[in-house]
Amino acid sequence: MPPIIEVQDLTKEFRTFRRREGVLGALQNLFVREYLTVHAVDHVSFSIEPGEMVGYIGANGAGKSTTIKVLTGILSPTGGKVISNGFVPYRQRRHYTKHIGVVFGQRTQLWWDIAVIESFKLLKEIYEIPERDYRRRLDVFSELLNLKEYLHTPVRKLSLGERMRCDLAASLLHNPPLLFLDEPTIGLDVVAKERIREFLKEINRTEGTTVLLTTHDLSDIEELSKRILIIDKGRILFDGDLEQMKNRLAQYNQVKFFLKDRSQVPRLAQIETDGIVCQRVDDLTYLIRFDRAKHSSAGVIRQIVNTLEVRDLLVEEEPIEEIVKRIYLKGEVA
Amino acid sequence: MKRHWRLLARYFAQYAKVRLAYKADFIIAFFSSMAATVLGFGFVLVLFTKIPRLQDWSFDEVMFLYGFSLIPLGFFNVVSWNLYDFSELYIIEGRFDRVLLRPVSTLYQVVFEKFRLESLQEVVTGILVVGYCVRRMHLELGAMDFLWFAVTVICGAGIYLAVFLILTAVSFWFEDRVGIVPPVFNMLNFGRYPLTIYNVFIQFLLSWIIPFGFATFYPTTHFLGRTAFTLYFHLVPVVAAGFTLLAVVVWNRGVANYSSTGT
Ligand SMILES: Nc1ncnc2c1ncn2[C@@H]1O[C@H](COP(=O)(O)OP(=O)(O)O)[C@@H](O)[C@H]1O
Ligand SMILES: [Mg+2]
Repeated sequence: MPPIIEVQDLTKEFRTFRRREGVLGALQNLFVREYLTVHAVDHVSFSIEPGEMVGYIGANGAGKSTTIKVLTGILSPTGGKVISNGFVPYRQRRHYTKHIGVVFGQRTQLWWDIAVIESFKLLKEIYEIPERDYRRRLDVFSELLNLKEYLHTPVRKLSLGERMRCDLAASLLHNPPLLFLDEPTIGLDVVAKERIREFLKEINRTEGTTVLLTTHDLSDIEELSKRILIIDKGRILFDGDLEQMKNRLAQYNQVKFFLKDRSQVPRLAQIETDGIVCQRVDDLTYLIRFDRAKHSSAGVIRQIVNTLEVRDLLVEEEPIEEIVKRIYLKGEVA
Repeated sequence: MKRHWRLLARYFAQYAKVRLAYKADFIIAFFSSMAATVLGFGFVLVLFTKIPRLQDWSFDEVMFLYGFSLIPLGFFNVVSWNLYDFSELYIIEGRFDRVLLRPVSTLYQVVFEKFRLESLQEVVTGILVVGYCVRRMHLELGAMDFLWFAVTVICGAGIYLAVFLILTAVSFWFEDRVGIVPPVFNMLNFGRYPLTIYNVFIQFLLSWIIPFGFATFYPTTHFLGRTAFTLYFHLVPVVAAGFTLLAVVVWNRGVANYSSTGT
């Protein structure tokens, strides 16, 4: 199957100008402008297959939202090519929008003052959703996202988590093959995040919806997507499988162990050889990070249990935050 | 097309429901709108206690003109409410993103997402006043005149909307509030009196630059049987179509220039 999204050399520049204050400044603003060019997205290329769930990650200001805005037709690019579901988004916007669902975590797509269900009914009209499909999806989403109690509440009275669930349902009422999510879990508590992730997985599995989601919360990614794209300062630093990235780029493993009692503490020094360092987590909990190239987990564990009396012990891979941080610092993937 | 009418009905019903939920608020808005209308007529009345005629325009004729102008103006007021804070709400706050994500024209959404319900009062008042003046002056109106009446009302509302859409579209380029809307509103009110009372400069301005004259004055000359303006009267649909087209072009250019907001 051909890719559902193809992005080639996508570039988006913003020209902003310095604003002067006051009445005189405002007048000056009209005539003399000092421009500043921001390269929000800089020669980005990638393609996404139908049914994929891809995580688009990057720090604040990396260019995630701008990419989503170009892909959804809100912005036209400065350069490059985008084809999504057979459309050029910013040129065929009105037709294209029938085939996509979009959720912005920061801003609701629903009408602020009216009850959620009324917003849904307006969307039914706007997207010309047949009555039967509408009913069915509304039932399914109400069930999966537990919306029933909020349907008659105006959007402005909902909590962030409730609103996000309603926004998600709204974005999928017309059953789009493509779903774009910009920071869908921002500001949510753990339970709310979990619910949204479960829902996305379910939709991706049952409907085959292709999902592209941006986030700066890497736990979203670990739960949701096999594939990640890392963007920084408008450039793609990494595009590939999450597991592969870990295998290839993880430099450290860590062993966390819990001492039997405090009498063991003085003996810790005995294992600190050959570049192995013990870090204290709390009274009885310690952590050893070691270079994967130099030591094996088995060897480190052996040394720990031979030297110390431990109650329990845990081997962990390097957290992906750390790996990603290193990628940012280097500005490339070695 | 049918879908757009259905959608309009939905938008309207939806908005009316929200609006009427705050009854006191709506009643106050309704009475202030009424008061403004009465004040407008009051001004004409006072004027004619001082002078018997306004140039060669009789009291009844001026009342007819002023009443007629309320009809397109009322329709325009009903749908133009969203244009006032457009720059703040849609551009600076970035609500326009949402508008762009829907498979319906952006203009349609912006105009029909909010209605100034109380201005429907102006339409009704306008029709009543015009009806009263027709009887007082014993004007003979045929079927064709009624058709023209409907056409010119639509054209008038279209001209008002086109002019203000162009002014609104400016905010796609300049976010800073540019204070051009209030003076244009004054011009609009000038156009509700006989144009011939003004100097040539203003007459020209109101005909060919900001064509408010074509929204109210020239149409009424026809119903009042003033043949001197027949040519202008026939140009009403042309001017309305031309300005509507211009507004759509400017708007679409503005939309293409929209750059959303950084968050
Ligand atoms: N509408 C805009 N006008 C001007 N600059 C913008 C606009 N949108 C984004 N930017 C700038 O582009 C860069 C990327 O922004 P964005 O795509 O929002 O990043 P992210 O979503 O990854 O946090 C930032 O430097 C931001 O300030
Ligand atoms: Mg963002």
